[in-house]
Amino acid sequence: MKKNLLKTIITFGTALSLCACTGNTGAGTTDVPAAQSGSSSPAEINIAYQYGLAYAPLIVCKEKGLIEEAYKAATGSEVTVTWTQMSSGADINTGIAAGSLDVGFMGVAPAISGVAKNVGYRIFTNLSGQEHGMMTSSADINSIADLAGSNEQIALVNIGSIQHIILGKALADNGYDAHLLDANIVAMKHPDGMAALESGNVSCHLTSSPYIFKEHENTALHEIKEVNAAWPVENSFIVGVASTDLHDSQPELYKALCSGISSSIDFLNSNFDEVAAMTSEYDGNTPEAELEYLKKGVYTVDTKEIFTLATFMSENGFIETSFSSYSDLVFDNVKGN
Amino acid sequence: MSKDALLQIRDLTKIYKDDNSDKTVLKSLDLDVEKSEFLCILGPSGCGKSTLLRCIAGFEDYSGTVSVDGSIRREPGIDRFMVFQDFNQLFPWKTVINNVAYPLGLNLKASKAEIKERAMEALKKVGLDNCGDQYPHQLSGGMKQRVAIAKALALRSPIILMDEPFAALDAMTRSGLQKEMISISESEKNTIIFITHNIQEALILGTRILVFGQQGHILFDGKNPMQRPVTPASEGYGALWEELHHALYEGSLKRSDTD
Amino acid sequence: MKDKKKKAVSVIARSIYVIALLVIWECVARSGILGPRSSLIFPSLEQIGEAFIKNFVKGYAGTSLWIYIANSMKLLLTGLFIGVVLAFILSGLSMVSYVFFKIYDLTVSVFDLLPGIALLPVVIIIFGVREEVIVFLVVHAVLWPMSRNMLDGFNATPRIYVEAGKNMGLKGAGLIFGVYLPAAASYIVSGLKSGWARAWRGLISAEMIFGIASSPGIGLFINQMRTNMNNAEMYATLLVIIIIGVIVQYGILRPIEINTVRKWGMTK
Repeated sequence: MKKNLLKTIITFGTALSLCACTGNTGAGTTDVPAAQSGSSSPAEINIAYQYGLAYAPLIVCKEKGLIEEAYKAATGSEVTVTWTQMSSGADINTGIAAGSLDVGFMGVAPAISGVAKNVGYRIFTNLSGQEHGMMTSSADINSIADLAGSNEQIALVNIGSIQHIILGKALADNGYDAHLLDANIVAMKHPDGMAALESGNVSCHLTSSPYIFKEHENTALHEIKEVNAAWPVENSFIVGVASTDLHDSQPELYKALCSGISSSIDFLNSNFDEVAAMTSEYDGNTPEAELEYLKKGVYTVDTKEIFTLATFMSENGFIETSFSSYSDLVFDNVKGN
Repeated sequence: MSKDALLQIRDLTKIYKDDNSDKTVLKSLDLDVEKSEFLCILGPSGCGKSTLLRCIAGFEDYSGTVSVDGSIRREPGIDRFMVFQDFNQLFPWKTVINNVAYPLGLNLKASKAEIKERAMEALKKVGLDNCGDQYPHQLSGGMKQRVAIAKALALRSPIILMDEPFAALDAMTRSGLQKEMISISESEKNTIIFITHNIQEALILGTRILVFGQQGHILFDGKNPMQRPVTPASEGYGALWEELHHALYEGSLKRSDTD
Repeated sequence: MKDKKKKAVSVIARSIYVIALLVIWECVARSGILGPRSSLIFPSLEQIGEAFIKNFVKGYAGTSLWIYIANSMKLLLTGLFIGVVLAFILSGLSMVSYVFFKIYDLTVSVFDLLPGIALLPVVIIIFGVREEVIVFLVVHAVLWPMSRNMLDGFNATPRIYVEAGKNMGLKGAGLIFGVYLPAAASYIVSGLKSGWARAWRGLISAEMIFGIASSPGIGLFINQMRTNMNNAEMYATLLVIIIIGVIVQYGILRPIEINTVRKWGMTK
């Protein structure tokens, strides 16, 4: 009796751990259940994205089923699109490398790192550009020059993030070493960084939309302009990457993906009110604020300045590989620079 | 009752308070114990003999007084040193010698060497001078009780309270320890109050024997007239055994009357 | 003789177990069942070995892993020390005052349940963005399990030790140091063990969430490796964490246990 119980437990445990091993690497929310079985190998696509305003076109794409629609129009058959929300570009990189994800949306810096690391993807679309900036509470700090050589702490989301690289670029643009302020960085999430800045625990916070707008409203804070200038709103911020497998072996699906994202962006650009109503709840803003923040972003499929950024990253040691041309980063259909 | 007895107990009453009923364990007990006396207390279980020892040691609250050399004692102190029945009364985290030396260090202003020497001397008296560096868990039950006795000897406690210390030992070990107790009490002149439920043990050890009935009622109090070493062949052994047994039996009988 | 045999068996069994795990790892890494990018996400032992050396020699952005380890250990030891001392003082006071015991018992029960990471926003508001935040989280990780064990240990002290202590004239603080503390030794040792493990884990996860670049710790290093898809380096760092954990377990905690509760026969 006892032995049998033990056996059952062991069998269960083994089965469970096996499940865990073979399961999806992304511990996120899955909106669409697994593909319906029965039909002969139905088309499937797994897409991962992250939290926040900058991903708004994807909400449109998901809610309106634009990829499914494009695929049906082109081929006449169905495709199952699985959307997974993940919390960092690094996790999405691992998911694509492991083959459990086909498509991911992330900051342009981790995307460039991923291409450099040969994760097996390239950029297939731009998604959005957003406002970035560095706010400070210290009256003595008005420019990058005031920060250079000081030990004032700068909160930003992570070492190696786009915000970190923007800081490096702002330094380089003003004649300093890109890593001059690395030791001043305190890595924390955007809302924690905002709280730390407003409570006076750090002197600077380098952040992005919508936190930068919220901090603009606080009259006790002022902006260090060079940071915004180093990576203005028109420049690529969030990009989409697709695995080379998808691009090479499922061209129809790849085309439907590009077309779906493109239609979503077009829809957003002509229907801000409707989209704001759709996304405000996800982002925890009032519909009015959401609309205002959304309108401040730039949404286009064309990339901007990503080759400049990739070159900057390799020249300053943020990545170990260097790129010879823009086409190393993107698939052929992508326009921009 | 003599005025100059070493230990004087007057009007001692101990009531255990329960939620719904109070239980009187000892009722108005008066008792004197002379210096160097080896007092054995016999009694049925629940007669309050252990409680009396705990009151003397200062572990319990009670009404009445306990005084040593004319001064009243309420708190525990080394002038009344308790040897428990439980073998685990030694601190397992101290070696044998340190178990004996530790209370000395607490109570004596002396150098470490002196304390160690005195502890060693006490261990020698109980025949354990070669076990000083062992830990209690390496000792047998009888050896542990010897160390506990050595603690009292090292402290030179005038009164040693022993609550059935040998009850859990095998017959051979017990007999050996009884002999040692006799020689110790004769040479060291400590006053010993020894609780037992074994009439033979009381006859062998005691210079004076008490039999308790319920609530510490004294049913028998008498000197042991026999010359040591006492054996069943000693003159008067049988008669005294009968007398004690009768008193004990009467005590138990009375209990079943009141139950 | 028998003990020797037992020891040999345990050494052999453990070695086989570890080797088997390594072989499985290597098979998975080399088989390519994880797809064409297997070496990137599931590096082979050789890659991890190289990364291990690289972590120390080259480090990240010119900073060797040694620096990260040194920073983490400094914060960890500070936190452990404060946590253990506080646990001794507060649990000791609980034995002196019944009211204090009741309040502290409740405090321990409540805070023992809270993950340190969840307290981070509050802690940042109190301490600011400084190393002290990490120290605080380590203290939080060690203080409550340690106190819980000590309180349980004090309460489980056999009455006979307490009475034997009183018998030889101990009272108050003397009784706590002379009887309650040593009597609770086996509880304290197991409190130290679980406190250490929690502190070590808490430190790494705190550093992963909250990285101060001016005093970078192991958690930040792992995060940097993760962000940059340097998975071999990341696994090599996990190996470092395990090695340090094992050194502390067998180099410090084990000897403490052997020289106290085992020597005293207070544990089987």
